[in-house]
Amino acid sequence: MSSSTLVIAGRIINQLVRDRRTIILIAVVPLLIASLVGVSVPDKSILDYTAPAILAVMILFFGFLLTGISFLRERSQGTLERLMASPVSRLDIVGGYLLGFLLFAVVQTMVLFFYLIYVIKVNYYGDLWQILVFQVLIGIGAVCMGTFFSVLAKNEFQMVQFIPMIIIPQMFLCGLLWPVSQMPEYLQWLANVLPMTYGVEGIRALMLEGQNLLDIGKEIGVLAAYAVGLLILSAITLRRGKG
Amino acid sequence: MLDGLSLEVPGGISFGLLGPNGAGKTTLIRLLVGLLRAKSGTILTLGKKPSPRTAHRVGYMPQLPSLYTELSVIQNVNFFASIYRLKDRKQRTQRVEEVIKLVDLWEDRNKSVTNLSGGMKQRASLACAIVHNPPLLFLDEPTVGLDPELRVHFWEYFQGLTRGGSTLIISSHTMDDAAHCDRLAFMRDGKIIALGTPDELRQATGKAKATLEDAFLHFVHREVKKNVQ
Repeated sequence: MSSSTLVIAGRIINQLVRDRRTIILIAVVPLLIASLVGVSVPDKSILDYTAPAILAVMILFFGFLLTGISFLRERSQGTLERLMASPVSRLDIVGGYLLGFLLFAVVQTMVLFFYLIYVIKVNYYGDLWQILVFQVLIGIGAVCMGTFFSVLAKNEFQMVQFIPMIIIPQMFLCGLLWPVSQMPEYLQWLANVLPMTYGVEGIRALMLEGQNLLDIGKEIGVLAAYAVGLLILSAITLRRGKG
Repeated sequence: MLDGLSLEVPGGISFGLLGPNGAGKTTLIRLLVGLLRAKSGTILTLGKKPSPRTAHRVGYMPQLPSLYTELSVIQNVNFFASIYRLKDRKQRTQRVEEVIKLVDLWEDRNKSVTNLSGGMKQRASLACAIVHNPPLLFLDEPTVGLDPELRVHFWEYFQGLTRGGSTLIISSHTMDDAAHCDRLAFMRDGKIIALGTPDELRQATGKAKATLEDAFLHFVHREVKKNVQ
């Protein structure tokens, strides 16, 4: 990791820390949604089954949105052009973004997880640290996905359109609402190529079945491959001379 | 779109790209800093193709202020100082303070960029472009939004830079800026229609007291005539 990556990550953290309203929203909005789920699901066993999936989906959604919009702002306010004319490499820029936003994604994940466990009283069986490590992996995937799609979007409107295109289908197909195995075969095929399906399966295995990280190697592998792939694609797409 | 453009800028001078909006000044600067790729032809800055490897010797001030609005002036300048590899913390702090004072923003150094006026943002943007002391500086409309006093102050600084051996390539559409440049290229519709020192361009009109505006119009008319023929 180069010093430029750290400098960019530090700058992102500085920017968000100075924007107190955003920081409050980052912490409070997921809790409001979690509370709503908590009070709207009357059956405790259904809540225990649904909560891990909701946790995974929220990490993906907020990580995607926060990174995507921020990266796009970098372009619209002209600072990305300035960075591209500087000695930093494309990988430094994308890596800096990943690192900077990962911190916020991790904090948001922790707040949400502990709120679900201690306030909404969701039961879980696995090791706490293993659950947290897997959530961080989902967070990395979300940040990489947000970065990649913001590189493709030309303005905020287009970025927002990626939510119904990229996030909502994954919410329906990942097993949050009904098991993937009960879907029509062609939808199962689609679900099996989407990263969120592996995020939900992995976190359910850890939280509900008490499995450990070694047992969910496939899920970890797919999420990691997605994250690395999107990171490389972001760096390639963000080329100098693109204009 | 730029067409049939051939240009060589010697070191240690201020070179002005002068023309109306849409003439191709910003496109040319973006090509020279490596933000755009030419479909054909060759571009060399400091003798090499523009790339991240040569970028640390080049300063670039875009047309828009292009600053991180949530950050303060000093945080912005410090960020670009770090990006441009001013690694020694003491030297970096010293240089950051120096350029902020130079652009007359010392009193406002801790203000968020959001709370700055247009002219102040322009000055902060210049500070970010010059913080690493580059030998080659591209300034896209650097004096837009500046009051006359500060404009003079900027030009004194630019002339100081060229005396020290730096090369400045400045785009502008004001004749006031053009008069300060050592050499000028008049641009129109993606082409360079005239090239020379301000005096040479004025003399080309054949009028005794021609201004640079007269000179620009002279070359525009000549170009139009040539196209009609």
